[in-house]
Amino acid sequence: MKFDSIIIGGGLSGLTAGIKLAKAGQKVALVAAGHSTLHFNSGSFDLLGHDEQGNAVANPTEAIAKLSAAHPYKKVADVAKLAGEAKQLLADAGLAVEGDAARNHYRLSPMGVAMPAWLTIGGYLTLDDPASIKYKNVAIVNINGYLDFPVAFVADALEKMGAKVAIKTISTPALEVARRSPSEMRATNIAKVLERDGQLEEAAQAINAVLSGEDAVLLPAVLGIADGNGVALLGNLVKTTVKFVATLPPSVPGVRTETLLRKRFEALGGTYIAGDRVKGGKFKGQHLASIETENLTGAELAADTFVLATGSFMSRGLSANYQRVWETAFNLDVDAAADRASWTSEDVFDAQPYQEFGVKTDDKLRVSLGGKTVDNFYAAGSVLSGHNSLKLADGTGVSMLTALQVANNILND
Amino acid sequence: MSNNVKKHYDVIVIGGGITGAGTARDCAMRGLSVLLVERYDFTYGATGRNHGLLHSGARYAVTDGESAAECIKENMTLRKIARHCVDETEGLFITLPEDDLHYQDTFVEACHKAGINAEAIDPAEARRMEPAVNPTLIGAVKVPDASIDPFRLTTANVVDARLHGADTLTYHEVVELLVEQNRCVGVKLRNNHNGEMSEVHADLTINAAGIWGHLVAKQAGITVNMFPAKGALLIFGHRVNNMVINRCRKPANADILVPDDTVCVIGTTSDRVPFEECDHMKVTPEEVDILMREGEKLAPSLATTRILRAYAGVRPLVASDDDPSGRSISRGIVCLDHESRDGMAGFITITGGKMMTYRMMAEEATDLACKKLGIDKKCETATTPLPGSEPRNDEQYKTYSYAQKAAEGRHGTLTSEIKSGDNEDDALVCECEEVTVGEVKYAINQLHVHNLINLRRRTRVGMGTCQGELCACRAACVLGKESGDTAKSGADLASFINERWKGMQPVAWGDTLNEAQLTATIYQGLCGLNKFVDKKEVEK
Repeated sequence: MKFDSIIIGGGLSGLTAGIKLAKAGQKVALVAAGHSTLHFNSGSFDLLGHDEQGNAVANPTEAIAKLSAAHPYKKVADVAKLAGEAKQLLADAGLAVEGDAARNHYRLSPMGVAMPAWLTIGGYLTLDDPASIKYKNVAIVNINGYLDFPVAFVADALEKMGAKVAIKTISTPALEVARRSPSEMRATNIAKVLERDGQLEEAAQAINAVLSGEDAVLLPAVLGIADGNGVALLGNLVKTTVKFVATLPPSVPGVRTETLLRKRFEALGGTYIAGDRVKGGKFKGQHLASIETENLTGAELAADTFVLATGSFMSRGLSANYQRVWETAFNLDVDAAADRASWTSEDVFDAQPYQEFGVKTDDKLRVSLGGKTVDNFYAAGSVLSGHNSLKLADGTGVSMLTALQVANNILND
Repeated sequence: MSNNVKKHYDVIVIGGGITGAGTARDCAMRGLSVLLVERYDFTYGATGRNHGLLHSGARYAVTDGESAAECIKENMTLRKIARHCVDETEGLFITLPEDDLHYQDTFVEACHKAGINAEAIDPAEARRMEPAVNPTLIGAVKVPDASIDPFRLTTANVVDARLHGADTLTYHEVVELLVEQNRCVGVKLRNNHNGEMSEVHADLTINAAGIWGHLVAKQAGITVNMFPAKGALLIFGHRVNNMVINRCRKPANADILVPDDTVCVIGTTSDRVPFEECDHMKVTPEEVDILMREGEKLAPSLATTRILRAYAGVRPLVASDDDPSGRSISRGIVCLDHESRDGMAGFITITGGKMMTYRMMAEEATDLACKKLGIDKKCETATTPLPGSEPRNDEQYKTYSYAQKAAEGRHGTLTSEIKSGDNEDDALVCECEEVTVGEVKYAINQLHVHNLINLRRRTRVGMGTCQGELCACRAACVLGKESGDTAKSGADLASFINERWKGMQPVAWGDTLNEAQLTATIYQGLCGLNKFVDKKEVEK
């Protein structure tokens, strides 16, 4: 099988690169090993939340210019332009988001912390100022027995922002049935129950019954796993403003994002190979000719260009044993400390050096093997070295922007 | 809690490890009024940092016959009185090609002499009984080793002490022994949560503070020469072996592999450490390397099994010679009557020994206490089951849900006190270990749980393969709701995640590193937990 481009990795960066290349008319295949880190998504996307000194960033586009040379954004030619393109790409896939690359807003975390964000999915609570909320009288309504929405923390935070908060719980007969197995009380499972025929009406009725004149009701993000229709419908059925707040994983907005991007990729003619893992490739000199996967035994997937978007350690794009760190599929060159004592810091909340490990790339985001650049093999997203996405709050931005840049590099080459 | 404490007791027991808890139970069962004080949490010291091995005594048979005989006696006793804390796995002592097979004969003979039922078996039979064992073994001896949960055992002793009228205080540190005319008359306590000081008086004070016992004695100007011997261990992510596997050779590094609940533990190393390190144990890369290298010899599959975490404890041995490793020092019990030894009346130190012989240690200390207080009552701890270990009601057990059955493993018959049957109480906090909201509430209200680390020790929340990924946040929310202080439980959650990391950091590669990154992504990236960090948290 021969393609123009093959993307390795089905997360945010792989899908972004795949969509852009397919839309440009390329014949593209994408190999996805399993669920991506979108399953831990907050309902928002970040571009740059903190600078390298730890200060909150007001204008990400400006602050990106001041990042150190190793940061992957330094290989993105026009951050503002690609940020706009990324937003449009999400919208084209059916994911309405709001936000501005020149001005961060704030999202509310499952523990009630206001965290900087670039884009937020429609219907989710956002704040202009981390210390205040425009609603003065808020009801937080949780599903009875659902523990992945730590209501007490959210309520505490809103009260500190000056809101009056009432905590309520609801249930519906269908949720009561689901609960008989206590491990069913997960966000994605609840979302599936709520999206059955008639369930939203029952839920809305239950919510309305516990409201008493609040100007907003906050719900855990347990609705909208396939699309945003249910979110909109519930908004119409409930008698006051409805806003969603992220939950602990699995993430309903993340699953929705992944689903919509995959559909968009396939609608553009992309070939999506699910549940398979790349185990190596055939190189001809400094050129990758084809790759092999675990399931397609004997079949070689050939392409003119390849994109590595396999993520970091938690996504198995990188691996470590007690002696070394390596890139999992091709043993590509990595930026990582040699001595394992310098991979980690003692305090879990300090910057952990391993977070910055990743594959080495040249200024066109091409990977290298044995010290030599592979001329048709690019990398994007969390598998790249050179930044700490937890400290900088730039993970999703790096994923989307480096993917778009890689696609540009491929198309311009 | 201090409000419930009386001004005067017959006995104050210092130290909430297994020895202190056992001594408090024994004293209370003999009708003494007892206060048990612990500076942090129950099992904070060596009790919570060992193999969880119910020794048959075989390990000591060749080098220390007396300890071996004590072990097998207590082994049989604990199977009866602490049913719900013991997993009757049995054990193997294996000889590998690099070991001397002649040692096996010496070993079996010494076991028999100590009263241990050791039976040499064919290596093929050993492979059949324990498929995880190193298949190249050339000799095997079956012994009555087993696995025991030190957290459960301590909790059960504390619960029983209380049922017999004892008062118990955690997070209360003895900062001064009150001495009047060469007599210890009580203790000055500092509440480690709020810094408040108080005094409590007693006819007799029993020092059961483990390795920290020398510091307690020092407060009365008494020297007890302790020998701090650090032992490092590794926990593997699942239960590779079903029997305890030991090396049949003179005790050395990393030669015991114990199946504990859903995991298994390899250990230990043994090195003398300075006293200053006892409060800040760190496992070094060299120790990890030794444990991995030797562990793989017992069960080769450990080479490819995820290491969950590393930890270390300090054996409270009493120094008697200048043995640099502390291996050949006796594990024997040391009960010091400071009245006859040092001219300090009203003060006893119970130390040495090991978890296996805690009940005998408690009995010895309590016998001495009773003698001094003129009480004539026999010890009944060897025959009275601990709370939870009474015979199980099988009819009731049949009606239990999965979560209740899991709870029965942790709390025995006391499971009936855990609320269940409504949506909130039945919701699962921890899916790895099947811990419900009801069980968390029971632990908070009945088992001295103030924070998530306490909760982990009572219920296994956060001890499973995910190391607290989702359950910690759920449990923090329940704790916050019960205490009404959400900010505090947020800080507690941050400190819990950090405590879990401390054990993962020495082994942060492979799946452990992957999992650590996932946890960081959830708690820092998604939740912003770093905003809750409170540097003042008492327990590290």
